[in-house]
Amino acid sequence: MSLPKQSTLRVFAAKLRGFFGVQRHDEFDDEMQEHLRLLTERFESRSMSKKEAAAAARRQFGNLTLLQEDRRGLQTFLSVEALWHDLRYSLRTLRKSRGFAAVSILTLGLGIGAATAIFSVIENVLLEPFPYKGAERMVFPRLHNAQETEEGGRQGYTPNEVLEFTETNNVFDGITAAAEDLVLYKHGEGTDQLYGAHVTPGTFEFFGMPVLHGRVLQRGDYEPGAPPVFVMRYKTWRERFSGDLSILNTTLDLNGIPRTLVGIMPPRFGWYEADILIPEKLRREAKGSFADSPEIWFMLGRLKPGVSRQQAEADLSVIANRLAKIYPQDYPARFTVQVRKLGDAVIGRFESTLYTVLAAVGLLLLIACSNVANLMLARATTREKELVLRAALGAGRARLVRLLMVESLVLAIAGAMLGIFIAWGGLKALVAVMPQNLIPTESVIELNAPVLAFALAIAVLTPLLFGLAPALQSSRRDTSKGIGGGFRGGWLRDAVVVTEVALSLTLLVGAGLLMRSFVALREVPLGLRADHVFQAVLPLPPDRYKTPEQATAFFRPLLARLKTLPGVVDAAASSAFPPYGGEPSKLQVAGKAHGEDWQAMLQQASQEYFHVLRIEFKEGRGFSEAEVNDARRVAVVNATFARKYLPNENPIGQRVRLASLDTLAGQARAPWFEIVGVVADVTNNGLQSPIEPEVWLPYSIPGSRAQVILVRTSQDPATMLNTVRQAVWATDSGVAVAYPGTLVDRIGERLYAGPRFGFVLMTIFGSIGLILVTVGLYSVLAYSTSQKAHEIGIRMALGAERTDVLGMVIRSGLRFVLAGLAIGIVVSLLLGRLVSAQLVGVTAYDPATLAVMTLLLTLTAAIACWIPARRAARVDPAIALRYE
Amino acid sequence: MDANKSEVLQGTLDLMILKTLHGLGPLHGFGIARRIEQISRDVLQLNEGTVYTSLLRLRHQKWITAEWGVSENNRKAKFYSITKRGLKQLELEAKNWARISDVIGRVLQLEPEGKS
Repeated sequence: MSLPKQSTLRVFAAKLRGFFGVQRHDEFDDEMQEHLRLLTERFESRSMSKKEAAAAARRQFGNLTLLQEDRRGLQTFLSVEALWHDLRYSLRTLRKSRGFAAVSILTLGLGIGAATAIFSVIENVLLEPFPYKGAERMVFPRLHNAQETEEGGRQGYTPNEVLEFTETNNVFDGITAAAEDLVLYKHGEGTDQLYGAHVTPGTFEFFGMPVLHGRVLQRGDYEPGAPPVFVMRYKTWRERFSGDLSILNTTLDLNGIPRTLVGIMPPRFGWYEADILIPEKLRREAKGSFADSPEIWFMLGRLKPGVSRQQAEADLSVIANRLAKIYPQDYPARFTVQVRKLGDAVIGRFESTLYTVLAAVGLLLLIACSNVANLMLARATTREKELVLRAALGAGRARLVRLLMVESLVLAIAGAMLGIFIAWGGLKALVAVMPQNLIPTESVIELNAPVLAFALAIAVLTPLLFGLAPALQSSRRDTSKGIGGGFRGGWLRDAVVVTEVALSLTLLVGAGLLMRSFVALREVPLGLRADHVFQAVLPLPPDRYKTPEQATAFFRPLLARLKTLPGVVDAAASSAFPPYGGEPSKLQVAGKAHGEDWQAMLQQASQEYFHVLRIEFKEGRGFSEAEVNDARRVAVVNATFARKYLPNENPIGQRVRLASLDTLAGQARAPWFEIVGVVADVTNNGLQSPIEPEVWLPYSIPGSRAQVILVRTSQDPATMLNTVRQAVWATDSGVAVAYPGTLVDRIGERLYAGPRFGFVLMTIFGSIGLILVTVGLYSVLAYSTSQKAHEIGIRMALGAERTDVLGMVIRSGLRFVLAGLAIGIVVSLLLGRLVSAQLVGVTAYDPATLAVMTLLLTLTAAIACWIPARRAARVDPAIALRYE
Repeated sequence: MDANKSEVLQGTLDLMILKTLHGLGPLHGFGIARRIEQISRDVLQLNEGTVYTSLLRLRHQKWITAEWGVSENNRKAKFYSITKRGLKQLELEAKNWARISDVIGRVLQLEPEGKS
């Protein structure tokens, strides 16, 4: 039999419906009506009357209504239609119990939100930080001195080395190299600095990211005699050129060479953190040693698929050992080649923190789920009549479980939506307090597709955690038994509440400790006044500023000009910024013999330095203007220096000699510096480490590398950039103002950002824990009091006062709280050892923090107990007793 | 009710429909009912409406599929056909049926012991 022709569209629609298991009512009914009609026709053709025929047909067909009922029974088993029905029903019942729905959704929202936020940090920072082709196989080699115990090693290579590694390795399917180039960009108004990178041919093919505007660098751009071109990073284009597309294909004066901008990269391209990328082809150098190399290159290779890091280390070791024979002075006697993953340097320290946080957040989510499970159980008791009625009317157990699970799913999805919203807001806050130097520039922390999928997966999985047990529990009730039969997992529920209290106390104590530590950190005296100071780096063009005389010839008029500006109080030049000292150098003090190496941080400064930063003199004086102008051999040391190297002596008049200056050519003439002053200690090695000895010398001496200006202002230093820049350009239009900012911001970023992040995170989790504990206690007590309504009724009938009932309920709640607090205190004390490394000015066993947090938790718990207790006390004995 | 007609045994209707579809290829519900009526030579008392619930059940099991087509008298009708899974099921059920009817046949042939 051949099928008659069909409309393809209709067939498709039918198949689609079939696929989703949907069959429209009328389709089925139509089919049966048609059948009836055909039967009637048949009987009519057997010479029956119309009426008789219709009756006969109905007889032969059977009961139409019954059949339709059958069909519904069959179809509601799995059909979407029935799910839709359950869904609408769930929404209706949840609308009726708004309080329950709101608390459940809020609880789940907090749990899912926290988990989603932390997962998106992990996803964007640890899992997929780099948007490059095969980024997970990108590695860089470093030469680790086997005699050094510390991590690290040489990561910079000469062109000869890069070429040797590139040409003879067997493990990479691509290698790119980059060398730093501080580019001075001269324009109509003055000069700006751009952080440039020279990149080798094939760099853009290596990363495999398409350009945003224009084109990437191509083979021809690297050839000698090719017109000079460059490519710009998105961030630089937006921030420095206000995203103006008309600069594409224009020519900029970069380090004196007119270069054409041919391309702008997309936002997440951040190779070498470079503002601009300049093509350069490596050539073998005749000498080829590290010291002779004009540029030092950082190498990044992409491992061939399936090649392990160990294999790569073995292969590269062969090459490195060959190179070590050619350039023995550049290699340690014993060394290993370590292959590190791209991003390791940045992410490494952060990784364990993030996973710990994720574990904590996972716990919070579990607690949130158990809370909602408790809430559902509590609610099931009030719904018991409804469920019993449904079961009596013929709803199967599977059907009831499904209905309850659909309700859970509705709650979870609403919770997930709220959670995504919370995560979205939380991420903004998180990114704001996250230390920027801990995450790669390429990673954008956002709610992307994998993160949303994660939230959705939680939403689908959590009902199994919080909904299944109560659903099975409530549907298990025997219809004949009616009310009765308590929740068998009672101990589990109690344990959950105790755990919640314990965990919450642990989180709160952690948050409290970090908060106190942060406050203590803020109170650590820096030894200087950082407010109202503007600071910037002025990289002097090396071709015109070779000698210290040339540098002072720039700085002296600049500082004088700055001091005359409105809003400026004073200005100084220096070789380093607070809160860190200068370069470390070995030293000698005249007439003092010592066994171990003496070391100090070495900084050069103008005479105004100490005054601009309000650094206090303990003894002696600062540099005079004449001493600085004449580059006299004078020095100022800090108190630690005097205490450590010149104890019980007058340091003034003693002479020091600094090894790092000796190595400079022509320094042998007058290597001794006379100490003229001792200043109070200024933080120069971070807040948690002891202060290092430090020496200041006039910035006019040979070997000085002064390039920093510090300007004390009477107005907000953040508004000074333009004023300072005009003054700098008026002095020399070829000098750029780089890394401008306020000293407060810089110190905050360096010293306080990390601790603040930990403290903010812990406070957030502590607060969430507190909310969850409140909900948890409330739901358990609400459940148990509703179970005990009868008992309470009897007690009251027998003469118990309302206050007795109140006390009874609160006592039963506080039992959990006390158990949880005891465990929480023990856990906090045990974990104290772990956080103690991050604490300043407070011990991990701080009794005040423990007491305050315990009190806070107890008070919150008391409120959570009081609400159901008050409700229980309001029970009318007459009604409560009538229940049975 | 006609004394010579029997009720369709529970579960056998599914088997009959599967076999019908197997033997005749794609058919609509009315056609299936006619075919069963024809084969049973009016021995079976079939509530024809139950054919449709049976068809629904078979579709849920994915033993048959349905497609819209046009019937002999040019009307829109749903055509059912047996699937691969349906074929396997048919084979299985047919064997089962043969075995059971064999057993029942033998049971019924037993003579009372005392009489022989």
